[in-house]
Formats: sequence, C-alpha cells, structure tokens
Amino acid sequence: MVMGTTGSKLEKALGDKFPEGERFFGLENFGNTCYCNSVLQALYFCIPFREQLLEYYAENKNVGEADENVLTCLADLFNQINSSKKKTGIIAPKRFVQRVKKQNELFRSYMHQDAHEFLNFLLNELVDILEKEANETKGSPGSSSQSEKVANGPVNLQANGAQKEPVITWVHKCFQGILTNETRCLRCETVTARDETFFDLSVDIEQNSSITSCLKNFSSTETLNAEDKFFCDKCCSLQEAQKRMKIKKPPNVLIIHLKRFKYIEQLGRYKKLSYRVVFPLELKLGNMVENAEAEYSLFAVVVHVGSGPNHGHYISLVKSHDLWFLIDDENVDTVDESSLQTFFGSAQEYSSNTDHGYILFYENLGGRS
Amino acid sequence: MASPSSSMSPAAPGLKTYFKSPEGRYKLQYEKTHPAGLLHYSHGKSVSQLTVAYLKEKAVSQGQSAPSTPSSSNVVKSAATRLFVGVNGSRTFSFGGTNGASKAGSGNSRFAGNFGGSAGPSGSSAAANFDCKGSYLIFNAGDALFISDLNSQDKDPIKAIHFSNSNPLCHAFDSVAKDGHDLLIGLQSGDIYTVSLRQQLQDLSKRLVGAQHYNKDGTTNNSRCTCVAWIPNTDGTFVVSHADGNLYVYEKHKDGTADPSFPAIKDPTQFSVAHARSSKCNPIIRWHVCQGSINNISFSTDGIYLATVGRDGYLRVFDYSKEQLFCGGKSYYGALLCCAWSPDDKYILIGGEDDLVQVWSMEDRKIVAWGEGHNSWVSGVAFDSYWSAPNSDGTTDNAIYRFGSVGQDTQLLLWDLEMDEIALPLRFNPPGGSPTLSSGSHSAHWDAICPLGTLQPPPSMRDVPKLSPLVVHRAHSEPLSGVVLTKESVVTISREGHIKIWARPGEGDISQPNPDAVVSSSAISKDRMAMAPTTKVNGSTYKQTASIFLRN
Repeated sequence: MVMGTTGSKLEKALGDKFPEGERFFGLENFGNTCYCNSVLQALYFCIPFREQLLEYYAENKNVGEADENVLTCLADLFNQINSSKKKTGIIAPKRFVQRVKKQNELFRSYMHQDAHEFLNFLLNELVDILEKEANETKGSPGSSSQSEKVANGPVNLQANGAQKEPVITWVHKCFQGILTNETRCLRCETVTARDETFFDLSVDIEQNSSITSCLKNFSSTETLNAEDKFFCDKCCSLQEAQKRMKIKKPPNVLIIHLKRFKYIEQLGRYKKLSYRVVFPLELKLGNMVENAEAEYSLFAVVVHVGSGPNHGHYISLVKSHDLWFLIDDENVDTVDESSLQTFFGSAQEYSSNTDHGYILFYENLGGRS
Repeated sequence: MASPSSSMSPAAPGLKTYFKSPEGRYKLQYEKTHPAGLLHYSHGKSVSQLTVAYLKEKAVSQGQSAPSTPSSSNVVKSAATRLFVGVNGSRTFSFGGTNGASKAGSGNSRFAGNFGGSAGPSGSSAAANFDCKGSYLIFNAGDALFISDLNSQDKDPIKAIHFSNSNPLCHAFDSVAKDGHDLLIGLQSGDIYTVSLRQQLQDLSKRLVGAQHYNKDGTTNNSRCTCVAWIPNTDGTFVVSHADGNLYVYEKHKDGTADPSFPAIKDPTQFSVAHARSSKCNPIIRWHVCQGSINNISFSTDGIYLATVGRDGYLRVFDYSKEQLFCGGKSYYGALLCCAWSPDDKYILIGGEDDLVQVWSMEDRKIVAWGEGHNSWVSGVAFDSYWSAPNSDGTTDNAIYRFGSVGQDTQLLLWDLEMDEIALPLRFNPPGGSPTLSSGSHSAHWDAICPLGTLQPPPSMRDVPKLSPLVVHRAHSEPLSGVVLTKESVVTISREGHIKIWARPGEGDISQPNPDAVVSSSAISKDRMAMAPTTKVNGSTYKQTASIFLRN
C-alpha cells in the first residue's frame, strides 16, 4: 500500500533539517477526494488530536471488522502513517474514504465537495462514536479516562429532556469551545444568555480585511429591531434588543472557517468570494473573550483552489517543527513561511490568483507544554 | 477644465477624492503610477515602498558627482534640455513601457491640451534649476525602480530603472550627502547599490547610472533586503536589514572586494554583534538581531538610536554606537511590519499584524497608547512633523502629536495623541500619596519598572489607554504599503505601486485654482467621512475605556 517514490525528493530538500521522528505522506486522490485529503492532513498535523487518536488506536487495535467505523478507520490510517518505516511516501486512504461514503450519502458521489462540510461531518461522527462508547462502558470506572462529565452547567439543553448525560471526549477537549449569545432587551434591560458549543467559528469575510477584523465583526453588537425583534420573556412581547456573541470558553484548537461561498440571491446560486483576508501566524481573541491573553499559533490551512464553489481543488499547508509544507494530494513540498501570503486572496475582484485560505487551524500555545 | 477627478480614480467606485479633518479638507492632488502591464509576472512578489527625496541645489565644485565641469553654463544647459525632454518625453517616447500606461488613460489628450498649464511649474522649475533641484517620489514595483516628480501633474514617472536579475525592494535617500551618492537601493537578491539621484535624473536611460555595488550576488548575505537606512550625521555610513534577521553596516565607496567573513552565529535566538576582521572589508559590522525577518528599521533623528521591528513581533531599540539593546517590547500578537520615530525622538509608532497602531515611549520604555481602527494589518506609520496643535495656548504641557497610518484595509487613518492621554496614567498619584511611591491601585503595567536593555512582554488590553482615529479614509482600492507626511501633503502608496498625493488643507488650492468644481458632486452627497465625533468605529467607547482608566 505504501508506494513512496517521491520521498527521496522531500528528504533531499530538507537534508538534516528533516524533523526527527516525523512522517510526511501524500494521500492518493480517489476522484475528487481532495476535500477529504486536505482536511486529513490538517488533522494529522494537529498534534494533540493525532496523539489522542494514536492512543485510541493502541487501546482499540483488536476491534473486529464488524465494529469498523469512521473512527477506527481514521485511527488505522494515522497509525499507518505514523508507524511507517519510511519517512515520506504516498498512502491510499481507501478504507477510510469508503467508510465515509458508506456513512454519509453526501460524500458518495464523485462531485466536488465542501471541505468544511466534511470536517464538520467528521468531527461530529467521531464525537458520536466516542460518546456511544463512553456510555456503553459507563459503570465500569477506571476503564476510561477518555470521558468525563461536563464541569460547568448545562450545555446544549436542547436534548429534549432526555436523560443522556453529556460526555466530554478527547475530540471535545481538542476542538470544542463555548459561545455565549447575549441578548439585552432594550425595554427591561434583562440580559438573556444562551450558551452554544462549537467546533469551529464560521466568519463572514470582507474585502481587504484581516481575520482579527472578521472575528471582531463576528462578536460585534447587533441591534435587533424592525422585522427582527426579540421575544423578551420578561416583557412577554417582541422588543428591540441588542445581541452579541462572546466566547465563554476558548477552544484548545481554534478552527476558523472563512465563508467564501456565498449565496447570491440575484444569481440564484453560490459564488466564491476571492476576497483578500490576511491571517496572522499568531492570534489572540481580543475583545471576544474575557481573558484574552492566550495566544494561538497557526499550524494548518486548508486552501480552496479555483474560481467557483462547485469545482476546484483543495490543498493544505501544514506546519511541523517550525517548517511549512504544502500538501497537494500525493505531493508534499516544503515552502517558505513567507509564501503563506500568496493564499490570502485577491485584493481586486478579477485576478488570476485562485488559491485562497479557507479553513484556518490555530493551536493555543499555552495548551501544550 | 474637464474634471481631472474622474481620471484620477478610474475604475474605483466609492473612492472619494478628498477627506475631512478638523483643520479642513485634504484633497487628492495628484496620482502617480508606473507603466501598466509591466508588473504581472512579478505580481505579488514584491511590495512597493515609497521614498520622498528633496534634491537640493547642486553645491559648487563637487568632485565626484555627475558630468560636472567647472565651465558650467554649457553643461548646465544641456542637462536642462535633457531633463525637459524627460519630463515631457514620457508621453511621446522612451522609457520602455511608459507609453503604454498613458495611452490607457483618457488623460493623455487632455493633459496634452493642458500641457502649458500643468507642465508649467515643473517644467519651468526644471528649466530654472537645471541641476534637477526638486522633490521626487522614488518607488519600486516589480523589477523596476521609478522616479516621479512630486510636484507635477504627470502621472508617469520621469525615469524607470530596470534591474535585470532581481527586484528592488527598499530604498532610502540622504538629503545631506556630500559626495553625490545619496540614493540607497536594496534588492531581493540581497544586493545593494548606492547612486546619485541627480545623475539618474540627468541620464534618462533605463539603467542605473554610476552605481556602487555592495554585497554583490549576495556574497555576504543572500537573503532578501528588507530595509535600508542612512545613519544620520555620519556622511556615508548605512545599514541594511535582511530577511534572515541580520543587519549590516556599510561604508559608502569603500571597496568591498575583500570577502568579509563573519563568524558563524552561535545562538540565533540571541542578539550578537560581529566586526569585520579586516579593515578592508565592507560591510564592516554584522548585527544578528532576531530569528526571522527584520521587517523595518528606523534611526532616531539624532542618530543615537536604531529601532527594528520584525517577524517575531518585537520592537527593539538599540543604542547604535554602543551596539547595545536599549529597550523594546512585543506586539499584542503577530509580526510587526513598520516603525517610525516622532520628530523629537520621544516616541516610536509601531504597526503590524495585530491590526494595531501602538505608541512606544522612550522615556517609559513601554507601550503608552493603543490605536484601534484598522481592519487589517498596519503597513505604514508616520508622525506628522509639520503639525502644530491649532489651539496651543503657549504652554507645552498639552502638546499634541499628529500621526498617520495606512493598512492593508486600503485605509489611511489620522490620529491625535494628547499628552494627557499618555502622561496621566504614568504620572498619576493619589492625593497625599508620595510622588515617588506608586499607589498600588493601578495596574502593574504602569508600575512595573522596565529595566534598561530588556524586552517587555505583550501589553495587556486592559492596561493601555485606547486611541481612536481622528480620520478614517478609504484612500485606495488596493491594500496600502506606505505613507509619508510632507509639508504640503500626505502621500500614500499601494502595494502595487499606485501613489496618491493628498494636499493638506489650503495647499492644493495653489496649484489647482478651482478644486471644488473639480470634485464631483456625487462624491459630496455621498460623504460618509468618519470623523471623531461621529465615528463608526466605536470611537466613543474606546475613549471611554481610556478615561475610566485614567480616573482609576
């Protein structure tokens, strides 16, 4: 399965700078599966995620064929890369892709798919599997350090009063943050706060702006009035209100999705926004969060290549041991840190540059020692 | 006069040709650019930078420079003729692609029609000052360096210098250079040139004329030149910073053929200085400043301090002659991209990838003001050394600094910095308290002693007084890369080398007799200029935060 002929090229390029113990494998494309490959590479180079997944693999490697699921297939794949004798090469994530297609008909066709949708599906699927396993093993304490009860109050109370206790899996620990949606009724001044969990933040983008600015807009105060009033429980009527989003609990790994695919009503279809949105290599959440001194560091970018939403290609940029790599399906190349700026987008509407940062992965530097 | 404003901002809907400030209107006076179609292959690789050069009258009996002979009148005349051809000629011949650009604009014929009027000032001044005395804009784009006349309406440059092997990225001008070599150019390949600006103007070929070449083919350092600077009051010593975190000191005209072998850098995380082993070497000194790129450097006006900012997010201020770190601090987050000294050397502006414009105090050795207003990275900052507070009552206590900043959000922002804002939290002591002891009631940021020679951690958002911009103006349709504040104008440049000259209130009227007629009426009706009292950027809330803190 491991083919690896391009390996020597990358090893030569890196020379003695080749990160010790690290593996760089391209992923074969099975007909428009670049959306999957690009996300898998970003997740592989998300060290806390990879470590947890390999740990999971070590604990569950004797699972039979019958119990195969997306999680076990992914763990298998990561292990295959991680334990490879070769440092570089190409791997065909065949079993994983087949499993995903089996699980979700959306990804069954050979059409171009949205990498963000896939990431969402994948993380939720992993969480579902882990939660199920945690609930099954409940009552036998000590066997699982992988889950624990939610520490702070009710999160996601929409569970219809079902007795299902929310568990926090290692996927949650990696990616989950909590948003607080605060609404202040302008008549009675009552503040209603509603918590929501998230695995990623989807932000609207503007031409010639920064991620900092997009996040600021995301959490900026919005007035609900006219057609869009707020039903205040205290006033028992529709009232004008002010709404803002705050981050109550910042995630360990912050995933930011840039809303580059926008539905244009006049056109009756989606259009790709090629806006130039600069993303810094380090980031703080600033006003969005109470204590904003935690610094995030960029470690992966999923890049959409192409001018439209229904076609194109995905590649990824990943950081490993302070070196950056561009991974395009089978091919892995080193790139200079400064070349990341070629993926910011276009300052003007019509441009030949179609490679645009689409999903950004930041890791909290304080979260890892 | 057909409205020049329409031709001034072609294909840029929503861009206004003026902006308001408390002291009056700044009006778009001229635009400068480079020949179109020249850039595409190198597009995005290099960012245009801007240098404003004031070329003085040529001093008598200069040995080194130009084709000057003691029997002046003849030579002088021919130089003048040549220059005049150059100024006009850009529309008719020469300069490679220059023609193409002016053809594209409908301005061509109109400018030709107006020619007598528009070329009058520059033409006549050129004729009167045949030694090329004047104000020039020097800017790079793609593989070329361009020189434009600051005070002419002509959009096209007077001269284009093409570099065959690499792109010019940075440049600096020394207005008091004694021997004629006053223009310093740094390239992507690491190569550096010094030339005489006057000589370039007198020879209108596409070549660099009479250049001295340093770090040839990157023999000493082959990483990108990021910034070049003449060291004030030294006559001919200059500094070049590189993308690998090193900077080098050179002596002009010193033959650098000897290979300057500096020792290997032992610890790339530590600042180190190495002097060349041989006196024949040029560069003479290497400073290893930081890991990652040095993005910008700036000397204090007295030449005592050198400020650097870089990829690692640190501002470092060095005592230049002692070769020691004096003070410095970290950005809120991300790389720092630009820095600039106040005219009195008391403050340094820094801007970068945290979208902030911050003010560093040399006296307190920390950040004393935090400017939020840009929606993207801050790429250029500059103090306004020609600004004087309009309501100054004679006392200096309330002195106001004015400064400008530009960003990748295409905006130009102007800011006022009042002494109260920055001084109060620093000097505040509760009544009855000892003036020498801190009260303990306010934040550690203000109480902390900042020892000499150390770097400060990032400022915390709560601790620093916030500033709001006085003026927010979308100046270009593209991300901006630099701003220069001259006596008459604010000059902005975009990353792709488009320049706009915004005349200060009262200034533009002299050369443009009827500016109000010129500004299209639609632009006036759509006026949504954000000014301090009605600013959309939450100006009042930021001010409030600051004042709450002050009362604390």
